[in-house]
Amino acid sequence: MKRITSVLLCATMIFSLAACSGGKTGDKGSTAAPAAAAGTEAGASQTTSPDSIPAHKEELIIGAAAAVNNLDLQKQADQINNICLKLTHQALFRLDEENNRIPCLALSADWIDDTTIEIKLRSDACFSDGTPLTAEDVKFTFDMAIESPISGNLTGLEGVDVIDDTTVHMQMKSYSNDFLMSLTFIPFGIQSKAAYESGMEKPYLIGSGQYVLEDWVDGEFISFIKSENYWGEDVGISDRITFRPYLEASSRVIALQNGEIDVCIDPPINELQYLEEDKNITVHEQPGTRLFYFGFNCEKEPWNNQTLRQAVACAIDRNSVIQAAVYGKGTPQTTVLNRGLWGFYDDMDGFDYDVDRAKQLMAEAGYPDGGISTTLIIANSSPYTMIAQVIQANLKEIGIQVEIKTLEDATLKSTCVEGQHDLFLWRWNETIRPDCVYRDLFNTGVASNYHHFSDAKVDELTDKVLMDREEAQRQADSKELQTYLVEASPQVPLYIANLVIAYHNDLKMPFFRGGGDHEWYNAYIAK
Amino acid sequence: MLKYILKRIMLMIPAILATSFIIYFAMDMTGSDPATALAPDNATEEQIEQLREELGLNDPIFVRYGKYMMGMMKGDLGTSYVTKRDVFETFMTRLPNTIQLAFTAVFVATLIAVPLGIYTAIHQNTWKDTGGMVFALFGVSMPNFWLGMILIIIFSLNLKWFPSGAKGGPESLVLPAVTVGLGFAALITRTTRSAMLDVIRQDYMTTARAKGTGERDVIFKHGLRNALIPIITVIGMQLSNALTGSVLAETVFSWPGVGRLIVDSIAKRDTPMVTGAIIMSCVLMCVVNLAVDLIYAFFDPRIKAQYSQKG
Repeated sequence: MKRITSVLLCATMIFSLAACSGGKTGDKGSTAAPAAAAGTEAGASQTTSPDSIPAHKEELIIGAAAAVNNLDLQKQADQINNICLKLTHQALFRLDEENNRIPCLALSADWIDDTTIEIKLRSDACFSDGTPLTAEDVKFTFDMAIESPISGNLTGLEGVDVIDDTTVHMQMKSYSNDFLMSLTFIPFGIQSKAAYESGMEKPYLIGSGQYVLEDWVDGEFISFIKSENYWGEDVGISDRITFRPYLEASSRVIALQNGEIDVCIDPPINELQYLEEDKNITVHEQPGTRLFYFGFNCEKEPWNNQTLRQAVACAIDRNSVIQAAVYGKGTPQTTVLNRGLWGFYDDMDGFDYDVDRAKQLMAEAGYPDGGISTTLIIANSSPYTMIAQVIQANLKEIGIQVEIKTLEDATLKSTCVEGQHDLFLWRWNETIRPDCVYRDLFNTGVASNYHHFSDAKVDELTDKVLMDREEAQRQADSKELQTYLVEASPQVPLYIANLVIAYHNDLKMPFFRGGGDHEWYNAYIAK
Repeated sequence: MLKYILKRIMLMIPAILATSFIIYFAMDMTGSDPATALAPDNATEEQIEQLREELGLNDPIFVRYGKYMMGMMKGDLGTSYVTKRDVFETFMTRLPNTIQLAFTAVFVATLIAVPLGIYTAIHQNTWKDTGGMVFALFGVSMPNFWLGMILIIIFSLNLKWFPSGAKGGPESLVLPAVTVGLGFAALITRTTRSAMLDVIRQDYMTTARAKGTGERDVIFKHGLRNALIPIITVIGMQLSNALTGSVLAETVFSWPGVGRLIVDSIAKRDTPMVTGAIIMSCVLMCVVNLAVDLIYAFFDPRIKAQYSQKG
């Protein structure tokens, strides 16, 4: 009897181990070259006129890591919502592949004096209900935005005046180098004043984009179909675009392998080999924009000691962090600015991994034998746990005992805002406005300055970089600011994570954005 | 009987009140500010304060709870902080998915477990009994999420029999229901076996056999019917568990159910959604428990008489 039981148990274990082995593998799958546009070919250009729509599969299905929760543009801030809203709405300007601002609903924007921007609109744009898009809609949208939770992205805007049907003046508090880039932000997509005034149930659904919302079942899927009234030449290609949330990353990968979805956003790095072995799937990788960093609470002892912070910066092995956290799919950096932003400068001396130098700085800081016990708070999601464990081991070598405390995102944010923490791990993703890094992370008294860092020179240089009119001076100030911040070390920048995305080989998409906010209206599955 | 039912319905009210009180205050004690969680990362102090004011978070907790209860009495469970949609509507969108999964899982579990429990009881102390108990042990020990992934790899990725996840046609329900159901089946098997063993040894079973009743009728008509009470109890318990959300299975299979809704809302500090969803779940559990008690009456006339007297 015991023998039979043992045999049964062994058989069960062997069965389950066999089931855990990889799926069927075909020939080696193709992998797009890093940083190259995916599936680019002559004809799959960003502007596709109605007459030149290539043969395509009717529906493009995208497996997302989160579910859409709110389509009211100015009352939400989640990336998945914004990705969908890019299908239905358009901002005054948009970004090209190099993140340069180019016309969209507006043709031009010029500073006519230090506090006024004149914006000229297209005369042929219209909403999905066929009504023309005019200056009144622009004023209405920005009047709403100034009062909305996301008004922090419109810093300096005081009001909008309508000059004529195709001209508005934006009244600013002062000149800003970054403000015009804010006009590419999809939450500031132009909404229909008439829709709001008509009393319809969800007026924010009326946009000027290539697609309109077809159906949305909470937690299941959201689908969009081509707008019959789209005004432009750059029409959408796929007849329907559907986003399905697959919260479990492994399930998302399997869904792609099964052909249930055409695109898998954020595949887990440790499962890429299965996708790369699949001959029907392409794994695309390119430099990203999300910066992961290790931060200090600069108001709290002993982390108010700059030399001590520099010692810690020298003790952290960024390459080991990248290997542990993202299997090497990231780029280390020294500067605090997100890679790809205007003025990015990473050539300062900084604090490279050097344990001897770290110990020397510890002695200078007044801790020759270490003897510091501290707490590091992290979010309870990947990759923070791995990063924290590497840093804990690194700091132990210089006599700093780190206790890792895992918190939910919401609790971590609250703890940091209230200044109850010692050390923390976080990330910051900014793709177009350097001011949103300098000001939001390092300026005195800003809520998102989790470092509680306060330095008059940083505040001053931040304002200069924002307002310098002369390009060369602005570059110099930006370089000086980054160098100063690296020296002051309110944080230790760790790495920029690569963007990784997997999709069916027949997907055609002009390019992917390093920050993950792709324009799917251009995408289709070629037949 | 009707009076008994009405009395049980009235008893739900203190249960719901107590639940709402505990959940509301528990959410407040999580140590984080909902306004900070909901505001964009780059929100200023003034914007966070404005959001706090809009959401009524500056009022004392008892005032907020009072307002919430006043709304609940009018049938208004509030508006989600995150989605800005009505809590009740959102819950009712998810509930049919959870009901589908729960009932199917319990059906699968019962279909496997009751016959298996009877079989092992009849063949007590043989290798068949041991096999059944090994299955029960396996079912209780296996982590839900692991089993789900294994089933996806075998039946979806390798065999291509079923989809890997997301709600679709009836075929999309199979793997999630089996995942949840196998875990339930283990406990139901053991309870069935235990109840049948108690009954098999009774004198009336011997009498029935002596009077010439066929073995099938002895087991099912005389034995199982008397063993049903504890079996129904445990099935009811499992159904209650399933109706309040099998979070792990819902995550692995991207099943848009109530469990996932509650967990996501807790992470986002969406107090109205968490409180409303848990209150609704509490109501569901009370209804299921009442249904189980009524089913007792259906199968056991003695219990039915008891209810009629108490009512």
